[in-house]
Amino acid sequence: MNTPISFLDSYKKTINSYDEVINKSGEVKPYWATIFAALEAVGMEELGVRNKEIINKLKENGVTYNVYDSENELVRPWKLDPIPFVIHQSEWAAIEKGLIQRANLLDLIYKDIYGEQLLIKNNIIPAELVFNNSGFLRPCFDIQQKEFHQLSLLACDIARGPDGKMWLLDNRVQSPSGSGYALENRIVMANVFPQLNKNIHRGKLGPYFSELQKTVGKLGTNVENPNVVFLSPGAGNETYFEHVYLSSYLGFKLVEGSDLLVREGFVWLKTIDQLERVDVIIKRIDDQWCDPLELNKNSLLGIPGLLQVMRLGNVAVINPPGISVLENHGLMAFIQNACKFLLKEPLIMNSTATWWCGQTKELTYVLNNLPKLIIKKTNRDLGFKSVYGRKLNKEQLKDLKATILSNPKEYVAQEEVSLSTTPSLIDGKILPRLAVIRAFLISDGSNYKVMKGGLTRSSVVEDKFQISNQFGGISKDTWVISDNLEELEEPQERQEDIIEIKKTNPISISTALTSRNAENLFWVGRLSERTLVLTSFLKIIFNRLNENVSSHGKKQPEFLVVLLKAVTHLTQTYPGFVGEDGEEDETVFEKPLAELIPLINDSKKEGSLTYNVQSLLYTINHISEKWNNDTKGIIYLIEESLVSLKASNEQNISQTTHGLDKLYIRLMAFYGNTYETLPRENGFYLFEAGKNIERFLSLVSVIQTLFCFKRSEEVEQLLLESVLENHNLLAQYRSNYKSQLNLVTVLNMLFLEKNSPYTLAYILDTLSYNISNLPKKSEFNQLSIAEKKVLEASTIIKLIDPEELEQADENNFRKTLDSTINTVSELVSSVTSSLSSLYFNHSVMQLSFLATDKDNSDEI
Amino acid sequence: MKYKLVHKTTYNYIDSIHNYQCIVCLHPISSERQNCEDFKLTIEPNPQNLYARKDYFGNTQYYFSILKPHKVLQVIATSIVEVFTPKLVVANAITCAEALNLFNTKLELKNELLQFQLPSPFIFWDEEIKLFAQTCLIPDESLYESIAKLSEKIFTEFEFNSGATTINTPLNEVLKLRKGVCQDFTHLMIACVRSLGFAARYVSGYLETLPPKGKVKLQGSDASHAWVSVYVPEMGWCEFDPTNNIISGERHIVTAYGRDYSDISPLKGIIFSSGEHKVKVEVDVIPIL
Repeated sequence: MNTPISFLDSYKKTINSYDEVINKSGEVKPYWATIFAALEAVGMEELGVRNKEIINKLKENGVTYNVYDSENELVRPWKLDPIPFVIHQSEWAAIEKGLIQRANLLDLIYKDIYGEQLLIKNNIIPAELVFNNSGFLRPCFDIQQKEFHQLSLLACDIARGPDGKMWLLDNRVQSPSGSGYALENRIVMANVFPQLNKNIHRGKLGPYFSELQKTVGKLGTNVENPNVVFLSPGAGNETYFEHVYLSSYLGFKLVEGSDLLVREGFVWLKTIDQLERVDVIIKRIDDQWCDPLELNKNSLLGIPGLLQVMRLGNVAVINPPGISVLENHGLMAFIQNACKFLLKEPLIMNSTATWWCGQTKELTYVLNNLPKLIIKKTNRDLGFKSVYGRKLNKEQLKDLKATILSNPKEYVAQEEVSLSTTPSLIDGKILPRLAVIRAFLISDGSNYKVMKGGLTRSSVVEDKFQISNQFGGISKDTWVISDNLEELEEPQERQEDIIEIKKTNPISISTALTSRNAENLFWVGRLSERTLVLTSFLKIIFNRLNENVSSHGKKQPEFLVVLLKAVTHLTQTYPGFVGEDGEEDETVFEKPLAELIPLINDSKKEGSLTYNVQSLLYTINHISEKWNNDTKGIIYLIEESLVSLKASNEQNISQTTHGLDKLYIRLMAFYGNTYETLPRENGFYLFEAGKNIERFLSLVSVIQTLFCFKRSEEVEQLLLESVLENHNLLAQYRSNYKSQLNLVTVLNMLFLEKNSPYTLAYILDTLSYNISNLPKKSEFNQLSIAEKKVLEASTIIKLIDPEELEQADENNFRKTLDSTINTVSELVSSVTSSLSSLYFNHSVMQLSFLATDKDNSDEI
Repeated sequence: MKYKLVHKTTYNYIDSIHNYQCIVCLHPISSERQNCEDFKLTIEPNPQNLYARKDYFGNTQYYFSILKPHKVLQVIATSIVEVFTPKLVVANAITCAEALNLFNTKLELKNELLQFQLPSPFIFWDEEIKLFAQTCLIPDESLYESIAKLSEKIFTEFEFNSGATTINTPLNEVLKLRKGVCQDFTHLMIACVRSLGFAARYVSGYLETLPPKGKVKLQGSDASHAWVSVYVPEMGWCEFDPTNNIISGERHIVTAYGRDYSDISPLKGIIFSSGEHKVKVEVDVIPIL
């Protein structure tokens, strides 16, 4: 029998190029030996368990990376390797120097391009790389923010080249993303796998974020207490998770362009009680889309007039629009000379070798060496994907040559760097995989600081790394480690508290609700109730169906027919069980499942259960920042229900009913959790208002279908039982009345009982309370229109006479009941539009136009 | 010559406009060829803010915003401009080929001209446009004369027709239609010049029109105008008006220079509204001396 070989030894055997674990002289770096020892102690089986825990934790926390291209699976879960990327402080210190120099250099290049243009005049960089670049935005040339550095945030992708040094592959300045994912990786790792760093001193991420807060504090016009917003393009963006995560971590309000407006030389945030002045914008939308007045006029993501406010110095934006000119790949070819020219010193960290095809010699080189190169366009925003020369056949290479030759100035070639590998956990084995590290820098106005850590991405397959724009592969926590704590410079911090900035946050967190979020919360209320009511009603129907299993082809009992019709009315999925023009189709009732199952599993069918769950989750996702971690856990469970309900079919009815039960409980958990934790502010009252409006409308719809026509006593008995169950009142009725069910007493209870949450009187009282707590826009001492409507409905309900409602005419039609329900439904429905016109963000069209009228012939 | 210029733009909206923002580019430039002695901007309703700035090309642009809900907006730009008697143009003999060679070898020249040689938002070209340009710009002939020939060709072969095109009609369409207004002819001529590697700018401004003999000039009968400025080595920027086939002179008053219309459109604004709007522009070019 062989003695089992150690993790380290078996890993060493798999290494086939230069690897992070091995130093120049071929020995294992001591800190990697420590990590491997820790992994060994944990054991492969346990490592697998931890890996699963990590996956679950990330799912629960809702960590995703949205990818645009796949239609159905928009949300891709974030992947995190339990084995971190580790680098020693002694080496990191040198990397930091290189990065800081690069940041200073980029800042100077930006100022020169929008200023004197000495780099162009002295032939350091070719004019084409500026004037022919869509990132160069002329309207931004006279914008200057008050601190020395204009480039505040920078993300750089670096990797180790064959010479053992770190190379810079790319820099991101427009909306540098990834720092939030780095933070989440660290937190999850610390929670799930604490023993791994037991004997290791590891750099903290916290200081980077507190630095960011300090910078933001300085940039504001109102230094005392600046109002900071985090501007996102919205939930469709691939890094939306990070926008939600970072903004709430840093205590900045997450907004979209339509939440902001320019007025009287300032930027304002639209909230439901007032306009709030904004001092600093952390921008996560691309430069072109920032201001439709002066930049891309078709942008609906931006804020018209923003550039003018920036020129006035009344708002600071990081990073400022126009900075995108630095993202031109072509600049890399001239960076060394630019460094000598601007900083009078040699470049510390090299960039990937880059050739700009606008020069004759370089063009020739590129054309002769295509298989070794990656071809890119100088303009990033043209949708041109990087082309890897080695992947092309002869024919394709010929085409590529022709393409480059047709306009050489627009192309850049970069050497395909061979990168170092690092240990990764792949299918239960530790294997070498290529890695790229994203480092993050923040300026305090005059000095850059580098995050002690970063976001490492490694390839899943054993191939050359594709440095993709969108994060591919698996991410890794990134550790800058040291032999002693002092070297890491944060002796006051303990190992455990990775982040505790919020407590010392000097910036007050404004709780004002944006109009957009107000509308979203209201709809979360409506949609969750709509889903809940339907789930509950479907449960009732499935119970009855199971009790009345009828042989094939047999007619359904009358009360079931009525209940089935009610579900069609409730979901408005006509013809359904109701039939076309009131002509009911007998055959539908013979096989009710054929109609009922799609009403559950068909998420494309408007009104179906899964359709509603989807709309609910979509709206919930748009205001992710409002939910705490526990709520997110419940939301995740609702997502799970969605998946299982989509899979339901006629063959596994018991599974379907079980799925309905689960969903019901999860929705109730969502209610319970939000009710217990949401602060009693405008958002809460709107959420509750939405919930109660929907509840009222669905309950009266069922009452109307079930009882507007008088049926035989036997049938009505069964319907009464169902309706009480639908209002969660069956048990209470039985204990209160202990008699047979009859419509008059039931109506009495459903309408008038003031202490039971599902009676109409109670619902309207709650609705009226919630609306009365919303801010008054005018006439402080009077009822708002919405309040008046609720009052009217409530009065009608409370004044009914159950005996009168019970009366039917010669056609068995209960006219009073029907018309009463119609009246109150209409009143309660109209509350939505009153609230909307008062508080919500109206989506009026934004039009941009130039003054031309050809018809009037204003030109010669 | 001295002129008083009145440029009145009136917007009529069906729905009320709140919080309107606008950028105005109507302040005539002062240069070697003309001096803007006075400029006044009258806006009704009264704007909350009015800021002036020099844009990237050196033109004066104004930003204003109006908070008050309004259904009618009127912007009147009034200026007094003295246009100096133009120097006699002595066309030099530099050929197209020689000029191109200079552009490629002299760094300073290249850096100054590049942005007027490249495509811009309204200027892009295809083979058709290039072929059209090549009929006039011949390598061994004088650049200046060639440009004048191109201007004349557009003037004679194209019909002035204000209903045939809009601001968004692509240039190859204009070339096919052989119809358009001054803006189209100017953009087309710029595209031709740039397609062969030369530098051309868009000029916005006015042209004094003369009433038919024996008739009084009607108020508001003038219009804004556009023409082309081409760089000729040693001569500098030379202006051509392809709509009227004249070398621009004393009757041309310049408002602004840019790469194309998008850089210097007279008014551009953002409104939040679902309703329609109508625009009316009235221009008067009144000689006062």
